[in-house]
Amino acid sequence: MQPRVPAPDLAQPRTEAEAPPPTRPPPPRPRRALARLLRPLRPQLLFSWLPLLAGAVLWVYALPRIGFRSMGDYGLLDRFPVAFYVALALLTCGFLAAPRRAGTAPWWPAGYCVALLVALKAPPAVLYDSVRYPWASKHDAVVNQLLLNGELRPNGALSGNMSAYDQWPGFFTLTGGLVRAFGVESAAVFLNWAPIALGLLMMPVLVLLYRTFTEDWRLVWTAVWIFQLANWVGQDYLAPQGFAYLLHLAVIAVVLRHFVLPGSAGRLRDRSYLDPASAAVPPPTGTRQRAVCVAVLAPLILAVNAAHQLTPVMLCVSLFALTLTRRYRNYGLLAVAALIMLAWDLTMGRPLFVETLGTLRDSLGELTENSRAGYAGELTGPGPELAGRANVLMVLAVAALAGAALLLRRRLVRGALPLLLVSVAPVPLFVVNDYGGEMLFRVYLFGLPGAAFFAAATLVPAVGDARHGLRRRAAALTLHLALPVALLALLAGFLPSYYGKEKMYYTPPAETALVTRAIDRAPDGALILATTGSFPQALHRYDRVEHWFFAEQELPENERMLADPARYLADRIPPGTDAYVILTRTQDIYAAGEGLLPPGGFSTLRSRLSVSPLFRVVEVHTYGIVLRYRPDAEGESP
Amino acid sequence: MTWDHLRLRLPLALAGWGALAVTALPGGSPLRWVPVLLFVCFGPGLALLHPQRGTLRPAARIEALALAAPLSLSLAVTVSTTLFLVRGFSATAFLVTLAAITTVAAALPGLPLPAATWGAAGRRER
Repeated sequence: MQPRVPAPDLAQPRTEAEAPPPTRPPPPRPRRALARLLRPLRPQLLFSWLPLLAGAVLWVYALPRIGFRSMGDYGLLDRFPVAFYVALALLTCGFLAAPRRAGTAPWWPAGYCVALLVALKAPPAVLYDSVRYPWASKHDAVVNQLLLNGELRPNGALSGNMSAYDQWPGFFTLTGGLVRAFGVESAAVFLNWAPIALGLLMMPVLVLLYRTFTEDWRLVWTAVWIFQLANWVGQDYLAPQGFAYLLHLAVIAVVLRHFVLPGSAGRLRDRSYLDPASAAVPPPTGTRQRAVCVAVLAPLILAVNAAHQLTPVMLCVSLFALTLTRRYRNYGLLAVAALIMLAWDLTMGRPLFVETLGTLRDSLGELTENSRAGYAGELTGPGPELAGRANVLMVLAVAALAGAALLLRRRLVRGALPLLLVSVAPVPLFVVNDYGGEMLFRVYLFGLPGAAFFAAATLVPAVGDARHGLRRRAAALTLHLALPVALLALLAGFLPSYYGKEKMYYTPPAETALVTRAIDRAPDGALILATTGSFPQALHRYDRVEHWFFAEQELPENERMLADPARYLADRIPPGTDAYVILTRTQDIYAAGEGLLPPGGFSTLRSRLSVSPLFRVVEVHTYGIVLRYRPDAEGESP
Repeated sequence: MTWDHLRLRLPLALAGWGALAVTALPGGSPLRWVPVLLFVCFGPGLALLHPQRGTLRPAARIEALALAAPLSLSLAVTVSTTLFLVRGFSATAFLVTLAAITTVAAALPGLPLPAATWGAAGRRER
């Protein structure tokens, strides 16, 4: 090893004694100062900061010009000004230049990834005067109820399985703690910022995960970038699943780094067997060290179980998949995770757990049913249809890019096999249950970290792997052409996937106020009827009133209902129940967009119920109507 | 205990109490919610992971940064859920418990994750 010779520091002023001989005077100060000033303008640095700055300026300029109050068929897509799209393109260009220096200046790709996260997901948080995603207000209602009660009631047997939130309350108790500690009125104040907060916390965990399998920082940051573009599924709002997902990934990262069994790496220790970009297998750990790591992981696994019912299953399935490899055959950790899950399910989560076990017999093996997205209908309308097509294309694009790595980067895949296993492990869960029509999204989300990594591996060729002329040219072509095209295409796919159905997700505050008023008026024990639960404040006072979202069923049954909606509903309202029907604008958009009701079905429903003697109009508003069931008018009904 | 140790551990040990103190400010003020959020998200985790003998290796630095939030939030979930289960929840009880855990953790050696300290199995601890 050569001794390290310190480089002369030209920037430091020298004392008189240290001054060089007069024959070689130092360059005049103004020139040095000028050089320092011009340093950021060197091409290498210029391409690092200029796109970021220009993108940020354009984004800030575009923000107040986003016409979210006047959304049409295409959601926010045609309401984003051109400057917004240019800002995203500039960030992509800047990012493409940044990873070249990722090894020595990681803050540039990191800065671009943070900027992309904010640019993509912050507009609703900054602009909206109400909760994004009407169903997110349910979680606000749960937190409010929890703070009001001051206790957990897992055996409350509330309608619509709302007691499940007291059975897996971890995320809501934490949010309640933050609401009180922040001194704000409710979680609605910060609810729209959840995707940004979760995205920021997720980023270092992803870096840690990817760094375990590659030494190539360009690959790491490209994978993080692709993860963000492919994370359009909308599971990162203020909800237990997004939070539990962060903890799940943290557990997996620790396992992959610290649970390698001694003597299990075999040929993976041989660099010539691996891809030049592969990282060395993490150092193996002894039994005592792994036991300590289990103790470190226990609070994380406990919190995953306290927060969400499905994520612990995903975690156990992932840990089981890892035991299939020689490197990570840790039955002890799997046993601990399974025991914690079982302990929670049989104590706090017992009511829903037992109920789910009862329905498993019906859903087991119903592959097509379990893998459907949402409830029943076909997406309807230009925006939702575009979003639906973009969703499918995005899944196919990410899968194709990741699949290409399995062929093109086989030596990298050898080293990263555990990540591949963890990513595909949740897929068999389609066989088990549909999870309220959401299993598809959850499986996609759990497969995404690995898919993003392998997709990035396809697009970022290894540096030292291209000695032959042809291979070198192919690598250059991939890096300079395929990578930019793929990132821009994924960006183009993200926007309709995330914002194409935005008209369903933004609810004017006046509609929220209408619903709140209506439910506040309903006496305890009343039944609230609505076409779907996707409207703001749908579950306001959920422990005092019952709910029936009567159009959340197959389309043919809804068509039967529309023939005589008043009779259909009246026949199914339990005798002696005080029932209210709430029909709002957001329900109309959601029911039409998701294809729950046929075109014009909602207005038919509204007009027929309004004129029926079985229902009395309580309040009519631009954004909806509230009706009350009149059991005494049964004789007047035709 | 050297100044280097104290320089890191003292702010961590006091962070929770600082977060508790700012709850006296008006509700919703950024001077209140920013320190509280930072403490709940990172305080306990950093106190558990970061204080190690010597400087953290680069891999361990990334690890401490990445795991601080998940670990902190896990503890926050456990504390808040337990408080609700014993019907003793309040913002003060929530923050005092987390602050106490953080103070104790900051005084103890960091969690011995192998990347931070031990290295490979069979190697002698340095």
